[in-house]
Amino acid sequence: MEAWLVALASLPAVGPARLRAMLAIDRPSELWTSLQGPPSPEIAKVAGKRELYEQWHRTAADLDVARLWTRHREYGVGVAALGTPGYPPVLCDDLDPPAVVFHKGDPQVVHGPRVAIVGTRRCTRYGSDVAFELGRDLALAGVGVVSGLALGIDAAAHAGALDANAAPPVAVVGNGMDRVYPERNRALWRAVADLGVLLGEAPLGAPPERWRFPARNRIIAALADVVVVVESHASGGAMHTVVEAAARNRAVLAVPGPVRSSASDGCHQLLADGCAPCRDGDDVLLALGMSGAETAPVDSRPDPGTVGQRVLEALGWQPADAEQIKSRTGLTMVQVAGAVEELRVAGWVAVSGRWIERVGVPRRTGSDQGPLNGSVKG
Amino acid sequence: MLATIPASVLAGITGHPVSVEVHVSCGLPTFTVVGLPDAACREARDRVRAALISSGVTWPAGRITVNLAPSGIRKEGPGLDLAIAMGVLVADDQLPAEALADMAFLAELGLDGRLRAVPGVLPQVRCMETDAIVVAPESAAEAALANGPMVRAPSTLQELVSVLRGEDVWPDPPVPGPANPLEEAADLADVRGQHMARLGLEVAAAGGHHLLMIGPPGAGKTMLARRLPGLLPPLDEATAIEATMVHSGVGLDLPSSGLIRRAPWQAPHHSASMIALVGGGSQALRPGAISCAHGGVLFLDEMGEFAPQALEALRQPLEEGVIRVNRATAAASFPARFLLVGAMNPCPCGELGQPGMCRCTPLARLRYARRLSGPLLDRFDLRIHVGRPEVSDLFDAPPGESSTEVRERVDRARAVARDRGVVSNSQLPDDALDHLAPLDPEAKSLFSHAIAEGRLTARGFQRVRRVALTLADLAGKGPPLTGGIVAQALFMRTEPVTVAHDPWSLANVRP
Repeated sequence: MEAWLVALASLPAVGPARLRAMLAIDRPSELWTSLQGPPSPEIAKVAGKRELYEQWHRTAADLDVARLWTRHREYGVGVAALGTPGYPPVLCDDLDPPAVVFHKGDPQVVHGPRVAIVGTRRCTRYGSDVAFELGRDLALAGVGVVSGLALGIDAAAHAGALDANAAPPVAVVGNGMDRVYPERNRALWRAVADLGVLLGEAPLGAPPERWRFPARNRIIAALADVVVVVESHASGGAMHTVVEAAARNRAVLAVPGPVRSSASDGCHQLLADGCAPCRDGDDVLLALGMSGAETAPVDSRPDPGTVGQRVLEALGWQPADAEQIKSRTGLTMVQVAGAVEELRVAGWVAVSGRWIERVGVPRRTGSDQGPLNGSVKG
Repeated sequence: MLATIPASVLAGITGHPVSVEVHVSCGLPTFTVVGLPDAACREARDRVRAALISSGVTWPAGRITVNLAPSGIRKEGPGLDLAIAMGVLVADDQLPAEALADMAFLAELGLDGRLRAVPGVLPQVRCMETDAIVVAPESAAEAALANGPMVRAPSTLQELVSVLRGEDVWPDPPVPGPANPLEEAADLADVRGQHMARLGLEVAAAGGHHLLMIGPPGAGKTMLARRLPGLLPPLDEATAIEATMVHSGVGLDLPSSGLIRRAPWQAPHHSASMIALVGGGSQALRPGAISCAHGGVLFLDEMGEFAPQALEALRQPLEEGVIRVNRATAAASFPARFLLVGAMNPCPCGELGQPGMCRCTPLARLRYARRLSGPLLDRFDLRIHVGRPEVSDLFDAPPGESSTEVRERVDRARAVARDRGVVSNSQLPDDALDHLAPLDPEAKSLFSHAIAEGRLTARGFQRVRRVALTLADLAGKGPPLTGGIVAQALFMRTEPVTVAHDPWSLANVRP
């Protein structure tokens, strides 16, 4: 049965809605046979457009179902249909359960408390730092970190969870497991599959099409007990995840940012709408009903020096450029340049292009044996 | 009757002596020019004929043959007009040959008999070994730079003929007019705010370091770069002559004194081809924009938009200060020692705001960054970010330091460099740095941190060291280089494009 289901799922433009509509008509194997045969008005109604139905018809005629199935087996991708034993129990009684779930890695890790850490791909250094720390601290507290393996906040949250090397991370991806997307996260992708699990409802070979990501977001919301939005613009994928979470009665926390930062606009709207603020991992643990772990921050950075201290004070917690620091401190440009570089090396500030951002106290409480250890400059 | 008149033609920026032989004999009236003349040169027939008739001399009724010897090389341009006219008059016995002894001619003729200036007078005068040379009045100052033949500058053919017939005396050489005020370089005092960019310009001028300015549209990158020539010291004698030869050869305007003393400025548009930048051409090899910028500033705005091939061609002249152009039929080398100033946006959208505001994907930014190759980028010792000035700076800020004040510091730093035996610190050889710019322990640790981070290559290390030395010279500090100075130099060499903070990206994760 699963082989036919995989074949149906790999038809072009078949998402959760179309797959569900088709399965309401008949069993997968019967559907496949009727796709190959003379036009079926019921399936054509699901396709909507005639061109799409004809495309399905052609694909069904050409596709070797057995080979597609073997490919999944060889690739180490597990397949579980709704209602079969391998299917994640948490998704069974969801509002919109995926008809079939693909997984790479150990699907048994989807148990215990889970928190989704989501946010924008266009994040600031502040956002990615917070996501990293939340991922790490929650994993250390035994909470599974769920995210989408996208750039920005998602990647930082997963990297944090891997750095802790404690509770296994769960990544929900939108496209086929054989297509790493985005390419920059290849190493992260592999590390999550090794230590935790990659989940998705797209068969091998499914390209990263736009419509797959909102569908992916609903699974993230469904899997998590609590959703934390670290940084989000006024609209975007993270806000969509929040809508899905609200529909499922999941608690949503938002990380506050500078009120003028457009990368935190979405979070601030959520806070204004009544979401609880998330300041650190303990706030999330509280929302989960777990007790927070006592982790005192240790600041091991070297002393910034008098000039450095002046620059840090002038900088505050919002990005500024060298010109602004100069006018706020009254130092010469040469002094500002030297001080900023020294602060950067010491880990007090981050420089990204023209902008200089102050960096918070790094809380290196994670195990030194993390899989990304040594390569992550937290 | 036969006459031989010395003249010259221009190839690239070098002059070649040419003998203009004119033969007038009986026969049907014809006028032919032989000896590989190009179109402009062949048209000399009509100009010479009209100019002579307008000047009140008789046009010989006979067969006129003009040969341009050596006949093997191509003759280009109208610079032989005057020599041909003189040849016709001597061959027709209308002028005594003795009056023209050891006298060369170099000017274009107008139909009314007026003498017009031609490009490349200086290199052409330098190639001739005559006692006197006759040029158009506008070329007189330039011809005099050769310090060779006596320069005569009559304004018309009629005037010249009467002098040569002994009916008149040579006119006084024209007095150079007052300097064109537009030639004055723009002043730094006009710039409000922009302290980082000011510092960048100062260091670039003092140390001869190539400068890349990264900033959103409208930040004033072009306006700032335009002020760099005003900070550079005047050209030395040799460079001034070389620069004048190039400018004269390609027909650019020369200052009224004839000699280019102020650092030149070239800003080719980004549609420029590789040939237009480095020089070349199919017939005569012409110098490109980099040679026109010799001794001065080559400004490439929107660097990312230049053809990659054109930019890569800059690498060799950047190292050697000279460009050798080779073609199947000819080869030439042109001087090209220039200060390269580039300007580009931080990303395709221009990154209007703060972190998190840019709308470009990291991939798009990375692609934009890759338009400049690593080796080319490595040659920019100074890479600074320029922001849009604050509105309050535009209206209320007091004017900044003027170019004159900054130039004093630049001159002092250059004097220190001269004591080390180089024009500027950017030319110090690597091995000299060890004893000229020793590092204190703090500086060493900053460098090793930057190298470990992958920010600096071995070459980059030496380049930052030179910038640090220039900063120390500007501040009047002696060796060793302190951590503070090295930190300043490192800050002024930022990464051009900000890739989102992503320490766990593929590049950083160990396999």
